[in-house]
Amino acid sequence: MPRSAHDCILLDPAAAAALADTPLGLLQPVVRDAVPTADFVALDDFDQTLRRSGRVLLEAGGMILLLQPDGAMLRQPGPRQGPSVSGLPEGPVKAALADLSPLRRLLVVGAGGLGRVTVAFVDDEGKSQVRLDLLSLQVAAGTALTIARPQALRGYPQAGADLRARIADCGGVPMATDNLCERLFPVAAVYDAKPVIALQADQTALDAATAIIAAYIPVARANEAGIIADHDTEFLHDYRIALRKIRSVLGLFRGVLDDGQTAELKARFSALMAPTGRLRDLDVALLEGTTYHDLLPKSVHAGLDAKFALLAEERRTARARLVQHLRRDGHAQEMAALEDLFATRTALRPGPVAALPARAFASRLIWKRYRRICRIARIIGPDTDDAEVHGLRIECKKLRYLMEFFAPLFPRDEFRALLKPLKALQDNLGLVNDCAVQQANLQLFLHGTGKRGRKVSLEVAQGVGALTAVLHRRQTEERTRTGASLAQFTSPQTARIFRGLFHAPKDRT
Amino acid sequence: MKIIACYSNKGGVGKTATAVNLAHALAASGRRVLLCDLDPQGASSFYFRVKPSRKLSEARFFDGDEKMVESIRASDYENLDILPANMAFRNFDVFLSQMKQPRSRLKKALAAVRADYEVILLDCPPSLSTLSEAVFRAADAILVPVIPTTLSQRTFEQLLAFFAENDLPTDRLHAMFSMVQTTKRLHADTMAELQGACPDRFLTARIPFATDVERMGIDRAPVTATLPNSAAARAYRAVCAEVVVRAGLDRDTGTA
Ligand SMILES: Nc1ncnc2c1ncn2[C@@H]1O[C@H](COP(=O)(O)OP(=O)(O)OP(=O)(O)O)[C@@H](O)[C@H]1O
Ligand SMILES: [Mg+2]
Repeated sequence: MPRSAHDCILLDPAAAAALADTPLGLLQPVVRDAVPTADFVALDDFDQTLRRSGRVLLEAGGMILLLQPDGAMLRQPGPRQGPSVSGLPEGPVKAALADLSPLRRLLVVGAGGLGRVTVAFVDDEGKSQVRLDLLSLQVAAGTALTIARPQALRGYPQAGADLRARIADCGGVPMATDNLCERLFPVAAVYDAKPVIALQADQTALDAATAIIAAYIPVARANEAGIIADHDTEFLHDYRIALRKIRSVLGLFRGVLDDGQTAELKARFSALMAPTGRLRDLDVALLEGTTYHDLLPKSVHAGLDAKFALLAEERRTARARLVQHLRRDGHAQEMAALEDLFATRTALRPGPVAALPARAFASRLIWKRYRRICRIARIIGPDTDDAEVHGLRIECKKLRYLMEFFAPLFPRDEFRALLKPLKALQDNLGLVNDCAVQQANLQLFLHGTGKRGRKVSLEVAQGVGALTAVLHRRQTEERTRTGASLAQFTSPQTARIFRGLFHAPKDRT
Repeated sequence: MKIIACYSNKGGVGKTATAVNLAHALAASGRRVLLCDLDPQGASSFYFRVKPSRKLSEARFFDGDEKMVESIRASDYENLDILPANMAFRNFDVFLSQMKQPRSRLKKALAAVRADYEVILLDCPPSLSTLSEAVFRAADAILVPVIPTTLSQRTFEQLLAFFAENDLPTDRLHAMFSMVQTTKRLHADTMAELQGACPDRFLTARIPFATDVERMGIDRAPVTATLPNSAAARAYRAVCAEVVVRAGLDRDTGTA
């Protein structure tokens, strides 16, 4: 019979051992199934998606186990066939991990030994009336605990109830896995790609700018090790986003610092980003690879494979170069210097609007940016130049950053109501842009291969041609959708909320 | 959901041994099985170490058919539950006849059973009296162990005749040679003769006479579980494979 699994209980190992050894009333304990201790590793992605959601993922002796916050335990056979969640064989654990990003590598976050034993409590006929599964975890760092799962058997409710009562007497506590994860693998801080910055309405614009930049420098730095190790492509992506956000704070908060320092800092953060561009472009191109395969007929697959082999080769070179750069003392020193600048603030030179209240300042910036988007919306149509659309995309991104930075200063629900259509619009614009960039990349690629003195085979040329056609069609479709999203975002209703939040009479200057 | 009965109008032919091992083999193949011990002697319950609790043998538990469902016990094997002997058999014929009717009076009680099991296996006592008719009508397959002797041969022929006379579905009768001793001339001759007489009614698989089966009384567990590589266990698994096809379990979508 399928048994309810939602009943894991945490026990002290000594208490668990005693439990497994003591008769339950007239029922005698008999060991039915004992799996000797095997090494396990605990897995999670860099965003700690599992820890945050209270799940624990273990791999031991060819099995994959998932402990869920409700106390359920799922298991399926391994081994993993790839570094991310998509590398798991089909099974209940994989199904329960559908929310994990396939781009993220599952990293080892802990290790230890894991043993399992099943004890049956049998009556005088030798018949089991209830079973107890004990999963003991011994973490390398020293913590040990046992997860007990009583397995009631149909028709023997009394024995099931007795065992539960006994477990409670032994000091068992229902497993809340967030608890479990912290107990087994405690960490000082969890990486957060979007730290919430506690801003107060009465702080100054300079306070706000400093706080945001000071929060994002560590986010960037936290990704450096992952880029060097090449765990997955998201490290570089997050690294670049953190730096880009800092740069946009400098650009958007004009007048908070004096012009000279603003220009100098923008140049320094741009210099940090510069060596990452090529690698990111290659990452994106390679990630698209699988989609291309699905999009195109088999006849051109060989051509595509050749293309991606070349890209992969180029990526190796670009990565080696970036790793070298990140390992240089100069890089670490520059990062430390910037970190120090925004932590101590003594060397910052306030500009003319530095002392404005943060909230009024934020309202002014957001309102201005929104109005600019509305203006562009009026002139944009299906035939508008790609460059204009690109401009709109940049404006939206800036508005998004502003709104996210300042979110803590505004009412949550109204803010969300505005962010939602903005996100939808950004998604459309992003796809339009991706298609355009990829078409350009394909052309570059054709030229590039020629220039390197390699022969562009007919097959490659055909593959690229077919793909360009597909991308162009997609781009056109997405442009149509963008129109609808833009209309929604600049509609009188949305504009009214923007005005109410960011251009109320008290804010007008 | 399919109902399979292990039945013979003759005693001691291996009905219980077959029911117990077939139940285990079916469960081990991933099907959810309920084995009903219809013999008041409780032999198959005994093999699974399930004892009828005193509480359940009280008269009041015999009254409601729902109580019967409550007296089902998990066996020590995955996917296999037991309805112990002595449980509500006063009404078991009603239970059976209603099992397959969607507008059954016992709808609620049966719906639970239907949802929980893909196979209901009946270990029948040698004389069925009031029950027999219900079993014959409800079962998708009636598995009849036949010891290849003259006497058993006659009993089986009587059963065939009874089915014909009473307008019962003869094609649901499936005979199976039991306790076969290949060294015995009589066994070989009887099997050849019977198989010739009714070619479609006999399973290809045969259960040999084996002390491993007799040992089940000591081990109190199916031989397919304790000695899975023995000749007897292999034979029971072969029977299982044939029964799956003959009872239509391979085509079954799950609901009745
Ligand atoms: N294949 C076999 N080889 C040897 N002994 C067997 C075999 N099958 C059954 N037996 C033994 O024969 C006896 C009768 O078997 P079983 O109880 O299975 O028959 P039955 O038809 O259910 O009997 P009853 O009519 O009393 O219910 C038991 O002692 C059993 O151990
Ligand atoms: Mg019997």
